[in-house]
This record gives sequence, structure tokens and C-alpha cells, in this order.
Amino acid sequence: MSKKDIFVTAAFTENSVWRQILGICSTLAVTNLMKNSLVMGLGVTFVLAFSNFTISMIRQYTPKNVRMMAQTLIIASFVIIVDIFLKAFMPDMSKALGPYVGLIITNCIIMGRAEAFAAKNTPVDSFVDGIGAGVGYTFVLLLISFVRELTGFGTIFGGQVMGDWWTNWSIMVMAPSAFFMLAILIWIINGSKAKAGGK
Amino acid sequence: MQKERKTFTDSRFYPVLFMIILTVIFVGILATFYHRTSERVQSYRKFKLHATILKLFDLPKNGDSFVLSQDEVEELFTKHIVVDSLNVSTEKDPTYVQYEKYYKLVDGEKILGYAFPLVGSGLWGTIEAIISVSPDFKTIRHFEIITQNETPGLGGRIDEKWFKDQFIGKQIVRDNSVVRFQLIPEEETPAPEQINQITGATASSGAIVKILHDQYLKKTQALGHTYE
Repeated sequence: MSKKDIFVTAAFTENSVWRQILGICSTLAVTNLMKNSLVMGLGVTFVLAFSNFTISMIRQYTPKNVRMMAQTLIIASFVIIVDIFLKAFMPDMSKALGPYVGLIITNCIIMGRAEAFAAKNTPVDSFVDGIGAGVGYTFVLLLISFVRELTGFGTIFGGQVMGDWWTNWSIMVMAPSAFFMLAILIWIINGSKAKAGGK
Repeated sequence: MQKERKTFTDSRFYPVLFMIILTVIFVGILATFYHRTSERVQSYRKFKLHATILKLFDLPKNGDSFVLSQDEVEELFTKHIVVDSLNVSTEKDPTYVQYEKYYKLVDGEKILGYAFPLVGSGLWGTIEAIISVSPDFKTIRHFEIITQNETPGLGGRIDEKWFKDQFIGKQIVRDNSVVRFQLIPEEETPAPEQINQITGATASSGAIVKILHDQYLKKTQALGHTYE
């Protein structure tokens, strides 16, 4: 498989959120603001790419019975690096994201890609797969947060878009709306695929 | 049948050794990275706290302390602010002595105001705030949030300017007792002892009012004030 195919498959054809229903917790939690979604997406992409790369590099030496323990250790280390980096160099962003950064560790997409791809493929291919899965995840986050922020706050990336006539839909800011939005998204994408003759 | 020869990687010690080596490598990387950045993180925290305290006392005059450089903030802070501490030990355990910092705005010998850090539980985590009051301890000058982990977009809005600025000029001590502000819906006009809460974030708004009351009472009592 070429690098481009690996990327497209990870990002869209086998998208972690709408095809594999992974990473749902964070998708529901951070998508009421586009800025938070973007930084969360970038954080997850960084951790995915580098943990995939590292796990793939040591895959031949990793004993099968402790491989998940090793993967968790590697993933957690990269997440802490992101957390320390934000605290030291982007303190305002670190403050805005609060506990979400630490929660990247529990994002099942990362463990999923480590098990499904990085444990069986070369480091460079795994890196590309990580970037792809991260881009796919960020894309879904931005899509949902675009609708939620626009209807819930009347803004996009914090900038006022809707006029005075607009009444904010409080429900869109709260967690239940994320369930509706995600379900609608999965329905539209998988429905259109089924219509086009795909699985 | 000839017995298959086992290599070291097949032995039961290999996974243990593998995990030990991997842990040492990654913990080493993290410790180095943390150590290299900790000074930067600490100095930024101190700068933010000092800039917030200056803002609480309207310093610099007609300016914003957050646009000043770190050196300018430190210079203003040393010139105008005195750091003191009070003993907030609980009566339950008299042997336990706990000192907490508070800040005084001074002009020579004259004290022009006080600032008290306030800490308490929010909906998801600890909220750290700070309040500045007039020299007679009765009127709020400013109220600021230092750290909070409330839901972004909901409880997280306690850090919005309109919410914090509602406290400016309010009486915190009335008829010799600390006022516990009452919450009213966001769109209503508040009376002197009322505060507009955040729609959809009653718990976080309530936490602020509670922290303000409980902590202010505790800290001023530690300074020798008595209330009815």
C-alpha cells in the first residue's frame, strides 16, 4: 500500500469515529468550541503519529504478553510531553483545555491504531497511519464543533457570526447535543455509502 | 524427539527486563523534559499571579498589567504590594499550624487595600480565585479566577469578564456578617446582594458564591475579625 493510500484509509475510508466508533468520549466532550476541538485534534494527531512510530520500531523486541502494557507506557509518555509542552510554551491554551489533555491517554483510537497497525507494520508506514487517523479524528471534531458552536454560541472560532436576532440554543452547548450530532453524522455518512453500493 | 532450544527472549525474565528498560528510558525522557521546562512554568505562574494581583488593585493606573513584561510586573509588585501570611489553623486540631499568604496594597505606611486567595471545590475540580477588598474589609474591589477546571463553555464561563465584574463594588460585609450572595437568572437585574448566575451552570456559579463566603469568613476571622 502506498503512503497516500495508508493516509486516506486511516483518515476517511476507515475513519476511527464514524466507521470504527472509537474516540467517542472526547468527541462528545470537547466539541462545543472549535478552538478546543482543533487543539485536541492536533494533540491526538501528535500522540498517534509518534506512539505509532515508537511502537512499530520496537515491535520485534516487544514480548506478546506485555505488549499492551508497553503501548500504554509509550502513549502516556507522549501525552505527558504534550501536556508539559503546552504548560511551558502555550500556557493560555493549556489553561483553556484544562483536564482534556491528560484525557488523550484514554482515547481508544490511539491504542486501536497501535494494535491494529503499528504492531504489524514499518515505523514510517505507522507514522503515516497515525497522522491519517489523527486528521480523520480532527476532521470529525471540527465538523461537529462547527455546528455546535455556531448554533450554541453564534460564533466560529470565538468570532461572532450570528447577529442580534439570533437566540443561542443552550442545548447545543451541553453534552446531549453531541450525541445527536454524532448520530446524525454517522447516519449521513454511512447512509450515503450504503446508497453508493459500499458496505 | 529433540527439545527445541530456548533463547533468552523466550524466558520468563525477558518481559520483566523489557518493561524495566522501557520504563527507565521513558521516565528518563519525561523527567529531563519536565526538569528543563519547570523553571519556565514556575516563573510564568508567578508572573500571572502577580499580574492578577496588580490588576486587582487597578495597577498600573489606566493600564493593563497583563500587557506588561515580566520585569515590569515584578517592579510594580515590589513597589506597591506587601506579602503577609495569616494562620488559618482549624480549631479541631490546634497542633496543626497552617499559614496562607495574603497581599496588602501599600503607600508608605498606609494600607490601601487587601487581597485574599480563595480556594474551594467546583463541579469538577478545585477552583482558585482571588479577591481584593477596601481597607475596611467591607467592599469588594475586584474578583478574579486563577485556575478552574469547570466544563468549557458552561461552568468555565465563571472566568468571563461580565461574571467576575459583577462583584465589583458589592458589599461583602453587611450588618457585621459576611454576605452570601444569592443567585438569580442571567437576564434579571440583580439587587445589591444578588449575582447573575450562568445559564446551564448553576453548580459552578453556586460554587463561586460558596467559596467567596466561606473562604472570606475564614480568612478575615484569622485576621481577628468577629462576626455575628
